[in-house]
Amino acid sequence: MTKARKQMHLGAILSGVGTTQNGWLDPGLPGDASVDIDWYIDNARKAEAARFDLVFIVDSPFITPDTAPHFLNRLEPLTLLSAVAVATSRIGLAGTLTASYWEPFNVARQFASLDLISKGRAGWNVVTTGLEGAARNYGRDTHFDHALRYRRAGEFLEVVKGLWDSYEDDAFPRDKAAGVFLDKAKLHRLDHKGEFFSVAGPLNIQRSRQGQPVIFQAGESAEGRAFGAAIAEGIYSNAESFEQAREFYADVKGRAAALGRDPDHIVILPGLVPIIADSDEEAQNGKLDLDKALVQLGRPFNYHDFRQYDLDAPFPDVSGLTLNSYKGHAERIVRTARQEGLTLRQTAWHFAARANPFVGTAATVADEIERWFLGGASDGFNLRVTSPTDFARFIDQVVPILQARNLFRRDYAHDTLRGHLGLPFPENRHALAREQLAVAAE
Amino acid sequence: MTDQRKIALGFILHGVGRTWNDWRHPDRDVNASTSFAFYKEQAQLAERGKFDFLFVADSLSITEKSSPHYLNRVEPITILSALSAVTSRIGLVATLTVSYSEPFNVARQFASLDHISGGRAGWNVVTSWLGDTAANFSRAEHPAHDLRYRIAAEYVDVVQGLWDSWEEGAHVGDKDSGVFVDPSRLHRLDHQGEFFQVRGPLNIKRTPQGQPVIFQAGASNDGRNFAASRAEAIFTHAPTFDDGQAYYRDVKERARGFGRDPGDLKILPGISPIIGDTDADAEARYQELVALESLETGFGFLSRTFNDHDFRQYDLDAPFPDVAHIGLDSQQSGTLRILADVRAGNLTLRQVVQRLATPRGAFVGSAETVANALQTWFEHEAADGFVVMEPLPGQLALFVERVVPILQARGLFRDDYEGTTFRDHLGLGVPANRYTIARDAQRAA
Repeated sequence: MTKARKQMHLGAILSGVGTTQNGWLDPGLPGDASVDIDWYIDNARKAEAARFDLVFIVDSPFITPDTAPHFLNRLEPLTLLSAVAVATSRIGLAGTLTASYWEPFNVARQFASLDLISKGRAGWNVVTTGLEGAARNYGRDTHFDHALRYRRAGEFLEVVKGLWDSYEDDAFPRDKAAGVFLDKAKLHRLDHKGEFFSVAGPLNIQRSRQGQPVIFQAGESAEGRAFGAAIAEGIYSNAESFEQAREFYADVKGRAAALGRDPDHIVILPGLVPIIADSDEEAQNGKLDLDKALVQLGRPFNYHDFRQYDLDAPFPDVSGLTLNSYKGHAERIVRTARQEGLTLRQTAWHFAARANPFVGTAATVADEIERWFLGGASDGFNLRVTSPTDFARFIDQVVPILQARNLFRRDYAHDTLRGHLGLPFPENRHALAREQLAVAAE
Repeated sequence: MTDQRKIALGFILHGVGRTWNDWRHPDRDVNASTSFAFYKEQAQLAERGKFDFLFVADSLSITEKSSPHYLNRVEPITILSALSAVTSRIGLVATLTVSYSEPFNVARQFASLDHISGGRAGWNVVTSWLGDTAANFSRAEHPAHDLRYRIAAEYVDVVQGLWDSWEEGAHVGDKDSGVFVDPSRLHRLDHQGEFFQVRGPLNIKRTPQGQPVIFQAGASNDGRNFAASRAEAIFTHAPTFDDGQAYYRDVKERARGFGRDPGDLKILPGISPIIGDTDADAEARYQELVALESLETGFGFLSRTFNDHDFRQYDLDAPFPDVAHIGLDSQQSGTLRILADVRAGNLTLRQVVQRLATPRGAFVGSAETVANALQTWFEHEAADGFVVMEPLPGQLALFVERVVPILQARGLFRDDYEGTTFRDHLGLGVPANRYTIARDAQRAA
């Protein structure tokens, strides 16, 4: 099957001290990296020099003392990206904000502002927040249940995109002589009244050069895939094997097409944590800590403590637990354990030291990347960035191979995030409606 | 006797300007409200002038009748985060309302700004006062005036409690021992209050200046009590020296009543100085501003104060209409001031509108004249400093180039930044962490 997209897209997930329990011990990583803006700026500039499409900031609003280091103590996405915007000029800036605990008006405003400050490079990763405990940081006893979360998020996004169209692109003549700052006919109230939100608008900020921020999404459950297929322009996926990635890719693109969308207008970027070595022998990364692995295993089960069970018995029955948080990830763990008849210990090892297809020399890793890209498993990758030596290896050794094979850009052809991702410019709905009326009248 | 007090100076970044016609000035950049380059230029100029801080005002609802800057502007937290990357010392104060946001998110964004800027963040706590704002946030109505301050008080308590989540030394990051965090120094807030229930902890450690600085700008009775009990800096509106002095003395007294050292609370009137080569030249520049404005601007301000009431329906040269009941719920202090002026001067509607369109203020003159006025207010209990707005293009540059050196020569203003944080500049102490206090008290017992 011919690949519609010629070149792949690369994102850099700037992850500070990292999401493993021990990654922060890397001598090349400042212990404070997750709250050090200079660390983020430095790595964003490296990614920009390597012609990455975007930097990506993940986020969540809940911690316990067992939480991974980067999540425990980190900068907030919009503040961080606003500073990075000023220190860069081309690279996209995608940040995570939850639809569950923000007001749509404020989200619309902050992303529109980032979009203006960065001259059209903003992206919003829409999440609904997986962690049950998060609700208690926001005055609720329990998190919204899974299905409700996505319905609410759908309406939330509708409101935000509606607000982003408050001003048509030529609403501001700013004519001093005539004394006309705003063409009032090009300002539109939203007057949204829905199941969850009623928002009058208008938004008090104009659109940017890219029209609207790019919408990202990440969710593996059935609701997550449906949501992504309906609204996402970029998807950060979490595939562990080529087969799994291809299944996800085909499913989401298929659903999108069934909804009348152009499947090329969704850019699917699986997470990438390559291990690049001088030879293809897989490096053993020191002694793995079983205790920490069990804690990590518990996270998608709402921090359930697996240390209470017999390690060498079959994976315990967790059907009584609420699968609200990270439902897709939790379901996958249970399915894998059952299908492969794993004990608790084996399950913990499997997911802590899970098989990583992107391991080997730079050429081997590049080969695997190419296989996924040309084989219908991805439109590119979202690279996790923590260790400086690992990032340098990827940029210095892998990227040039991809460029030599014409799989990745050598230089930016655009200066907006939409431009880099090959996404269409979203016409303002009011201008569009007026044009269509005019055509109909002819 | 040397007075160690120094004047505090802030600058309001306000894009194309305050009014409905500012933007038409021949030298005004019409894109100022949405141009990062413009904000950067002003921010760096203010920093060259050793200003204590930059200030960004805000509001969350507009109609087609709103003034140009209000219609279309960058958002405070994002623009100040961006400006933190192109400045190194100047404080960064963002206005954010307690009415339509979650305390956890606000605590997080300000703590993040504080880390990014090396300890320069400030939060101007407001409760939105235009009735239409509620309609942007899925609320049927706006809370009544007195409820807003109770909500605000609890909100600030929660935010400050979250800012204390991590004690000093909680983030160990010790690579040799392999200890990333000392869990005994990380605390859940477990706030259960009348309006908010927030568990915590915050997912960002204690910031470089301990906590962001709290600003407030309330002039009503409730607002003054709120400010006197909680604020570290107050942005106030004082058209005359007498207004300034009355407010200053009242609020400082209230602060004493709350058991605070009045020196820990900085009162900063907003001013729009117009500096000329001579007093006469400054007067001419003021007239330039008057000529630029129109009744439309005055109507705009008046309408805003009275909950968007349309005053154009009344006869301009008749006595000011009876609309007291409309204003008293939305912007109480603004309403009361206008009504007081009306009574005192038997003002017509036209007279009220003109005054609102182009207020003259007390700081129009040569650099020397303006410096003298600043000094008088500072030394006679009318101000601890000022928040400067630029009424005409070029005025910030004149202030920095001509007024600041006079103040410096008189020992009234810093020659250079001494500290690195916003608290350092304002001479405010670092708030102690409540959990550290509790532990120390336990040890002593």
